[in-house]
Amino acid sequence: MSDATILVLVSMLITGVLLGLVFALVAAGVSIMYGCIWLPNASNGQVFVLAGLLAWSLTNSLGWSVLAASLAVLAAGGVMAWMLEFTLIRRLYEAPNRNIDYFVMTLGLTQIISGVFSVTYARYNDQYELPKTIEGVTFLGPMPITNTRLFVIAVAALAIAALFAGLRYHQMGRALRAVFQNRDAAALRGVDVKSVYRFAFILGTVVTMLGGLLYAMAYSFDLTLAWTMSVTAFAIMIVGGPGSIFGALVVGLVFGLTQAGVSVVASPTMATFAYLGAMLLILLIKPSGVFNR
Amino acid sequence: MNLDAVPLLTTRSICKSFGGVKALKDVSVEVRRAEVLGIIGPNGSGKTSLVNLMSGHLRPDTGEVQFLGKVTTGLKPHALAERGLTRTYQAVRVFGSLTVDQCLDTASLMRLSHGDRLVDRQEILEWLELDLLKKKVSASLTLFEQRRLELAMRLMLKPKLMLLDEPVGGLSSQEVARMIVVLRQLRSRCGILIIEHTMHVIRELADRVVVLIAGEKVADGAPSAVLQDSRVIDEYLGSAHA
Amino acid sequence: MTKAHSNILGGIVCCSLVALPFALQSNKFLAFILGMVLINMIWACGMNVLYGFVGLMPLMYAGIAGIAAYGMIHLTRAEGWSFWVAMPVASLCAAIVGVLLGLPSLRLKGFYFTLCSLVIQTAMTLVFSYFPKYTNGDTGINQISPPTLNGKELNGAMFEVVLVLFALAAVGSVAFIMSRPLGKRFIAVREDEVLAEAVGIDVVRTKVLAFFLVSLYAGVGGCLYAVYVGFVSPRAFDILSSLAIWLIVAFGGRGSIAGPIVGTLVLAPLPYLLQEVPWAKDIILGVLIVGVILWFPGGIYGSLFKGRGVRAAVRKGDADRMVDQRV
Repeated sequence: MSDATILVLVSMLITGVLLGLVFALVAAGVSIMYGCIWLPNASNGQVFVLAGLLAWSLTNSLGWSVLAASLAVLAAGGVMAWMLEFTLIRRLYEAPNRNIDYFVMTLGLTQIISGVFSVTYARYNDQYELPKTIEGVTFLGPMPITNTRLFVIAVAALAIAALFAGLRYHQMGRALRAVFQNRDAAALRGVDVKSVYRFAFILGTVVTMLGGLLYAMAYSFDLTLAWTMSVTAFAIMIVGGPGSIFGALVVGLVFGLTQAGVSVVASPTMATFAYLGAMLLILLIKPSGVFNR
Repeated sequence: MNLDAVPLLTTRSICKSFGGVKALKDVSVEVRRAEVLGIIGPNGSGKTSLVNLMSGHLRPDTGEVQFLGKVTTGLKPHALAERGLTRTYQAVRVFGSLTVDQCLDTASLMRLSHGDRLVDRQEILEWLELDLLKKKVSASLTLFEQRRLELAMRLMLKPKLMLLDEPVGGLSSQEVARMIVVLRQLRSRCGILIIEHTMHVIRELADRVVVLIAGEKVADGAPSAVLQDSRVIDEYLGSAHA
Repeated sequence: MTKAHSNILGGIVCCSLVALPFALQSNKFLAFILGMVLINMIWACGMNVLYGFVGLMPLMYAGIAGIAAYGMIHLTRAEGWSFWVAMPVASLCAAIVGVLLGLPSLRLKGFYFTLCSLVIQTAMTLVFSYFPKYTNGDTGINQISPPTLNGKELNGAMFEVVLVLFALAAVGSVAFIMSRPLGKRFIAVREDEVLAEAVGIDVVRTKVLAFFLVSLYAGVGGCLYAVYVGFVSPRAFDILSSLAIWLIVAFGGRGSIAGPIVGTLVLAPLPYLLQEVPWAKDIILGVLIVGVILWFPGGIYGSLFKGRGVRAAVRKGDADRMVDQRV
């Protein structure tokens, strides 16, 4: 194999892993909300992009460092999620069949956010790019990779691992899983279901925004990314199985590598077709997902 | 062949597994005319699976189901309803936002002529004491009223056999007593199969009892005989309430 | 509102609708809005049958309309057919596609079907964009000529009058269907599929028929849209269009004959009145969607006329019927 081919393959691999981890993170956020609250959040893509845009504003207009901006965005995101939960989300906690209601409601939220984008950020620019998070380039053999991207991969992997561990070992995480398995049984065991819901919503939102920030650090992005990301996140969640972080990770990596591979030979839209196809197949054959509990 | 001798419903050597778990092992049951059959057994014994198989919600892995002498294995519930076999469900089901009248209209759709759709309605409504509730939305009825509505809807189908899945579930003891009276009167209108886990109801209503334990038919006979069967006592009655 | 009252009101509305095109002759903009309201009314009638009466939310509705529209355009342009033949043929083809796309509803409940329909719609939009042979891709097809009637091209008030007739036919046909046994079967399937099956209703056949009928409305509306506006592109038949039509029905009041009419009259003119500020259209659409979900699940018509009793009963019925919809 020629050096050039090796470089292309390694580059694909790195891109695939990076994308895959980011996908997995976002899908995990969506999955937590759906598995726990039955809230399929169609606006996750908008939130994803919103994080990047806010970070851009902070770094561009106020000159903050990327890291400081990211932390601020995550904090602000937590607050926004709390406010949203307080005003809108909690009203449907008791509703049966609330997953359709939430799905449509979040489609409405998508429209609102998208409308706000088109009157603000869309007028300003087509493409957005954050300044480099970390300077410099490392060489893995012959392959150069920016330190920023290495950082992104590391943080994404850590975040997923932390989610996984937290859900398994931390008290709140276990409460989350208990509610996911069986809400009534969990309530009988003394779990405050509503505060678990609130936690799940805020956690899911913050995780999604983290994904958006990491993506923005590694790549430039535009506003159409929102819809693509929503579709991808849902596809990963459905294929991997709602509520399964492990499923989100595996399927996320598969999708990420697919996207990286496909982008080399064809337009990225083909990858979207593939995700849609996979989601459709799973919905029709095994709706509980590949890795369901 | 004497038509009266043909059983209403027969299952022959039914086997059904769900992903490795054998829910029903070689179960053969007959529902005869002019006789109320009761099926009892602990949770997980396969009662619901058996009824689901009889009513077309499931296909058996092996074995066959016959209704009125004709093979009906694999027919869907609506097709069986057309032939005169219908069932109720453990959890009460009504068309929530429709009134009692509208529920009965919907259940009468099978009847071909408009006049035919109303012919026995008033009598059935009065018998089941639903007449005054005709215009009430069915979701606002009490559980007992909804259970009676379930029976009324099924009677619109002019059924030959009704499979009743825990028909007194959720009712107070007074209501249970009243329901037993209703079910006794139901006998004269169509054949009945009752699934229950309450001994009291079975003793009051069933002429013959089949006991299912862990997917197998363990006993089949008059209630008094079955309830003294040693295996039944060992494996089931010890934990059941009388 | 008694039956006599609603009949009189209906009669008044019909007469005014037929007279309106002539009254609006002087203002092309308002006349155009009237035309779009009428086309949306046809669409809303179809969506109402599936969403209001059968209880399924088909987010691929606009895609089906698009298939009919593109098919009609192909038949009139490439094959030289008359619009009046092409439209029914294209709508029938769209209806067959609609049945196929509706088959997942036989296995998927509630949210999963909605999600599936979303996926299908997204795929359809991609197909419209990336297979330009029939659709000319994102550029769209313009200069679609209006149909001819008695040798003369249809334009001006006559076009709107034709649309009025179609809209009235749409509303009337839905009212007719719902008064027949088929309509009662639709409602039974919406209320409780399992129970419907148990009382002798062939749920599969009922759903297939529902998708066929509903897709016809989508298709006819799509064809009329194409010749009235004179321009189509994939964006005319994307997920946002499906959502907008859904909103009209949900906002106006699903499961009633008058609800979609109310919804159309209020919501359909909005995008055109807000032409100067397209971002406001998005935000208002979003806010209305959220509002309907949280505060007006029965829609305006449902909240005003059906009253508390039915709503409370419906909520209790929902709670009793809760089935695990995650799988």
